[in-house]
Amino acid sequence: MKILSKSNLVPFLEGLGLEFKVNAPLYEGQDVLFGDLDSSKLATDFIGKPRLSPKEYSFPQRERLFTFKNNGGVEIEAHLNETKRVIWGIRPCDLYGLKFLDMVYLSDYVDPYYQARRSNTILLGLNCNKAEESCFCSSIGTGPFAREAFDLLFTDLGDVFLVEIGSKAGKKLIEKQANLFTNATSKDEKQAGILEEKSKKTFKTYIDLGKVEAKIAGASSSPVWAEEAAKCILCGGCNWVCPTCYCFNIEDVTSGDKTQRVRYWDSCQLGGFTQMAAMNSRATQAERLRQRIYHKFSYNPDKYGGEIGCTGCGRCIDVCPAGINIAYILRRVAN
Amino acid sequence: MAIITKVCDEAAGIKTFTLEFKEPEIQKSFDYRPGQFVELTVFGVGEAPISITSSPVNKGYLELTVAAVGKVTRALHLRKEKDVAGLRGPYGNGFPFDEVKGKNILFVGGGIGAAPLRSLINQMFAYRDNFAKISILYGAREPGLLCFIDDLEGWGKTENSEVLLTVDAPDAKWRGNVGVVGSLLPKIDIDIKNTVAFICGPPIMIHFVLLDLLKMGFEEEQIITTMERRMECGVGKCGHCNIGKSYVCLDGPVFSYHQLRELGEDI
Ligand SMILES: Cc1cc2nc3c(=O)[nH]c(=O)nc-3n(C[C@H](O)[C@H](O)[C@H](O)COP(=O)(O)OP(=O)(O)OC[C@H]3O[C@@H](n4cnc5c(N)ncnc54)[C@H](O)[C@@H]3O)c2cc1C
Ligand code: SF4
Ligand code: SF4
Ligand code: FES
Repeated sequence: MKILSKSNLVPFLEGLGLEFKVNAPLYEGQDVLFGDLDSSKLATDFIGKPRLSPKEYSFPQRERLFTFKNNGGVEIEAHLNETKRVIWGIRPCDLYGLKFLDMVYLSDYVDPYYQARRSNTILLGLNCNKAEESCFCSSIGTGPFAREAFDLLFTDLGDVFLVEIGSKAGKKLIEKQANLFTNATSKDEKQAGILEEKSKKTFKTYIDLGKVEAKIAGASSSPVWAEEAAKCILCGGCNWVCPTCYCFNIEDVTSGDKTQRVRYWDSCQLGGFTQMAAMNSRATQAERLRQRIYHKFSYNPDKYGGEIGCTGCGRCIDVCPAGINIAYILRRVAN
Repeated sequence: MAIITKVCDEAAGIKTFTLEFKEPEIQKSFDYRPGQFVELTVFGVGEAPISITSSPVNKGYLELTVAAVGKVTRALHLRKEKDVAGLRGPYGNGFPFDEVKGKNILFVGGGIGAAPLRSLINQMFAYRDNFAKISILYGAREPGLLCFIDDLEGWGKTENSEVLLTVDAPDAKWRGNVGVVGSLLPKIDIDIKNTVAFICGPPIMIHFVLLDLLKMGFEEEQIITTMERRMECGVGKCGHCNIGKSYVCLDGPVFSYHQLRELGEDI
């Protein structure tokens, strides 16, 4: 473990900027959002999570996959984005979100577009010393302190950051600017442990994951789906802000003799998601809401070795204009 | 990349396209099972999942039978011989074949839904001795929507095989059965215990035929059907075709009725 004084954070990140594109949480008005490093706006002491996760950097909202010429379509040009990137300030929930996306896009059929971005991206995490109202990562087990899926992991100890090394790539970043770092002592590590325990006591949103897992298969005809779905205004916001939602649409966009195949995020909460020529296979909003929750808490774990498709970040709770709350739904499912 | 080598009017609003890969090596190595599908690109317009209706025994070309219902499929209908189209696949699991050798086979098809069945039927007729009695029940809304007329005639003339047709709404020339395809079921005489049924067609037809077959004494494992779901990627990523634990594009589109019931979501 290493120590980086807070005054050395910007020099460290700007040093990385010589070799990498650096993204970090920035103060934007009242929000904290990921953006290109700008030391005048850099957010280091924000509570909870940036409004949006860093998913965009590996799985953009809209991505050009390839272009082909229409005069027969023989020339195909793939657009692989291999920008060398470092993202600093990723919360533990979002680290898990990226780990989850890796599992989806880099297992079985490997997605070349995702792989190109992801294999060129280094993840620097930032533990949470305090939870926000909607956070429930402690119930899922993904936070408030991370255990995996980072190259470097920062913990705010007051005047300094404790820096844990998670991979060779992370270690190399420190070695290149070794003069900025000192060695951590066991006292520093102990302090981090105390902060983690303190942080765990700041949570206001809980679910009983064990009970949810045990009961969810039997809850498909619960009244909760129709009751909650009745409030939905079909904005899709819950899907757009979710760090693990990975569903997309494919579309061909033609101009002149060139066609671009693009993919963009889709939302299972919208009726068009399952619309076919003859029928819609999920015709009611209750079925669509149930799909969102089941996909995350039942189908994904079944397909991907038990890994839950929800990080507990609580963003879908914050964003929903209708007040549909996943933690409330899961508590209903558990009982 | 494939070239359309033949376009044939199959029925009202339905055409059958014969395609050959531009690259001979790909054409040679492209192997598939009946029941699998391809993602077909009409350049400049988009992509759609389409069942392969030719059989693996027909080497050197692929046949796709397509109903014009929307953007891509209508654009495809405007394409002519020598035009190009994009193909990726084959995707999906395909029908069981070796597993059902020696048994009576019952096919129940509706409209263009019979496209994947045609692939399997022709494969079975190529190895006809491996199967006992083959019964083919096929229906459409009206006579003009019946597909694969020549095939049906050929199958019906083969020994130990029968073909029964029906339409919901007959025209003046129709001499055959009138009614839903399920109304043909009482007309066949087979030993159900040693029979496997394959059903493909519109969801509502599948629903009622399933109920009929269960009533006749078919076990859930003896009924094989296909699920149509909205699809985008075909490789288990985009999430559109998810039903319970399965992705129809990977684990389907062919399922036994038993498997369907295990999927979790109400079907
Ligand atoms: C495994 C599988 C096999 C199929 N086999 C055949 C076949 O052999 N012959 C045939 O004619 N059709 C087949 N279909 C249906 C065919 O894929 C759709 O009719 C086609 O995608 C519609 O595309 P479009 O662009 O023409 O229509 P659009 O303009 O996109 O829409 C027309 C209608 O089709 C629905 N639709 C759009 N995209 C899809 C999609 N990807 N999947 C399902 N429905 C969609 C729309 O919701 C709309 O109601 C199959 C579908 C699946 C899933
Ligand atoms: S954010 Fe709320 S209102 Fe919007 S689609 Fe999701 S559940 Fe419905
Ligand atoms: S479902 Fe909601 S709480 Fe779970 S990861 Fe997605 S946005 Fe966060
Ligand atoms: S079509 Fe994309 S997951 Fe099946």
